[in-house]
Amino acid sequence: MNARLEGMRNTAPPSARRRVAWPASLGGATGPLIGLVLLGVGFSLASPYFLSLRNALNVLDQVTVLGIVSIGMTAVIVVGGIDLSVGSVLAFSMMVMGWLNQDYDVPLVLCIVAAIVVGGVCGAVSGLLVTRARLPAFIATLAVMSVARGMANILTDGQQIVGYPDWFTRLSTVRHFGFLSLTVALVVVLVIIAGAYMTFRAGGRNLYAIGGSSEVARLAGIPVRTVTLLVYTGCGVLCGVAAVALASRLDSSQPSAGLGYELDAIAAVVIGGASLNGGVGGIAGTVVGVLIIGTLHNGLNLVGVSPFVQQIIIGVVVAGAVTFDTLGRRNR
Amino acid sequence: MSTKFKVVASAIALAAATVFASQAMAQDKKVTLGLAVANLQADFFNQIKQSVEAEGKRRGIEVVTVDAKGDAATQVNQIQDLITRNISALIYIPAGATAASVPIKAAKAAGIPVVAVDRNPPDAPADTFIATDSVSAARTLGDYVCKVTGGKGNIGIVQGQLGTTPEMDRDKGFSEAVAQCPGLKVVAKQASNMWMQDEGFSIAQDMLQRNPQLDVFFGRADALAMGAAHAVKVANPDHKVIVVGFDGDVAGLKAVRDGILEATMTQQTQLMGRMAVQSALDLVAGKTVPKEQLQQAQLTTKDNAAPFIEKHP
Repeated sequence: MNARLEGMRNTAPPSARRRVAWPASLGGATGPLIGLVLLGVGFSLASPYFLSLRNALNVLDQVTVLGIVSIGMTAVIVVGGIDLSVGSVLAFSMMVMGWLNQDYDVPLVLCIVAAIVVGGVCGAVSGLLVTRARLPAFIATLAVMSVARGMANILTDGQQIVGYPDWFTRLSTVRHFGFLSLTVALVVVLVIIAGAYMTFRAGGRNLYAIGGSSEVARLAGIPVRTVTLLVYTGCGVLCGVAAVALASRLDSSQPSAGLGYELDAIAAVVIGGASLNGGVGGIAGTVVGVLIIGTLHNGLNLVGVSPFVQQIIIGVVVAGAVTFDTLGRRNR
Repeated sequence: MSTKFKVVASAIALAAATVFASQAMAQDKKVTLGLAVANLQADFFNQIKQSVEAEGKRRGIEVVTVDAKGDAATQVNQIQDLITRNISALIYIPAGATAASVPIKAAKAAGIPVVAVDRNPPDAPADTFIATDSVSAARTLGDYVCKVTGGKGNIGIVQGQLGTTPEMDRDKGFSEAVAQCPGLKVVAKQASNMWMQDEGFSIAQDMLQRNPQLDVFFGRADALAMGAAHAVKVANPDHKVIVVGFDGDVAGLKAVRDGILEATMTQQTQLMGRMAVQSALDLVAGKTVPKEQLQQAQLTTKDNAAPFIEKHP
């Protein structure tokens, strides 16, 4: 690993290295973290139901899907891309899983694998459109978003699929040791792996170099196109994983699932300190961003704020959190 | 550093202020009803929400409303939050294609009675289910179309979101009526994704382009029908094309009054809202409530639209 780190030092351009130093460590997430803590304090004062272990676990349950999707989105945004297709790809993977299971009696375990593979294929298509066809990421993933949503609907003619076996729904509902459902545990594991990879491995550091300046990265010997393709593929795979988690949580597959998730995921990543220009961001920050979004929804429901007012508050807090972070970075 | 804190402080203060403002109500230890709405952007659901909240206010009950914006996963989260909040009963208008059973199972596990409105999960039905008898209402509408067209004509149908209960029920009832009326033919059918007016407009426009001989449009919801009516107006065909809708939401009723729509089926949203509150309270008090409470929708034409606009049934 040391050798690899050395390799990274040689390949990453000096400017990119300086820019990535902060956000990659937990230090980069301190701004959003303060916001999260304040949010928690505010809601604890406002609602007697907020501050309890049970509710904290609820929030974790509620952000599993967003959390998994946001990990992939972080990598995509760090390389300077964007992926608008995550919600649709999630729905498509979810429908493939249910459809194979229900209409063709494929064992559920294989269906889960199929869902993840389908997600990866969709991601790879986005990646190829971006790297080979040279489409802007926004357009490429917008196209995939539309295609995937259509395919999700075609499989069952828009019908939802209900009725998974008990063991499958228990993945997300049974809390082992009194607190950890398997889906939440999965998120934790994925976060640790992705965070460690992006912070400590040369391959992970390459993402920042590409996002900082893909031309410089290419000249430095990083296989930019291959890495970018892999990043989109990885993001798709994670959508497939998220689809499985969501199907378990809903005990059904719906072609309309995941509508608008791309925006929540992008918001979480940016709240977490990433820049849409690429080269900046990190898993730790994203986790905090995801928790801010989750806590906000949960807390406002517990307090009983009217749904219309909720939308206003969420918009203001998102804008506030990001402003806070950008101003903070400028001061630094 | 100071700028940072100013910004974060103001953001948090704003959130906190709103939070504290609503807190005064939240602290009362009386009966609290949770109302989980599928999508407040649809007037039909918004009407029910307003009715439930008005009825709650009249009886001095607190109603906590959450809006899933059409997403089943969001709704599961929201109902989890309502349960944490110790609501006494849940009024559940399921979001998503067909109703998800997960929220009902969760509420039952927490010992909270559930009143389902509009849709009911078949595998885990709620304690009581309040809805319009859509099949019979759509049949009534089909019979009316048969009558006003003199039993002859080509029908174009702008469908709602495929796979949803309302779409399937309305299809069933209307098809039954058309089958009884040999001169009527359904010649075009196309689905919308969101039950929205702009979809109705473009779908109907394309249908007219392909088939100028259409005499009747059935929009599976008023918004779709109004979009279709506008398409007819723009196309300006050489024969009369009538447009009928379904739901009887306020905009739809006004369109019927003004002759833009020929007819709609008015669902009794206010009544359903009041019944939902009554049923929830009965369930909390341990009384028995029928498993299903199906309401009739009322055929609404130019003649009887005005009173419904004044006061929705």
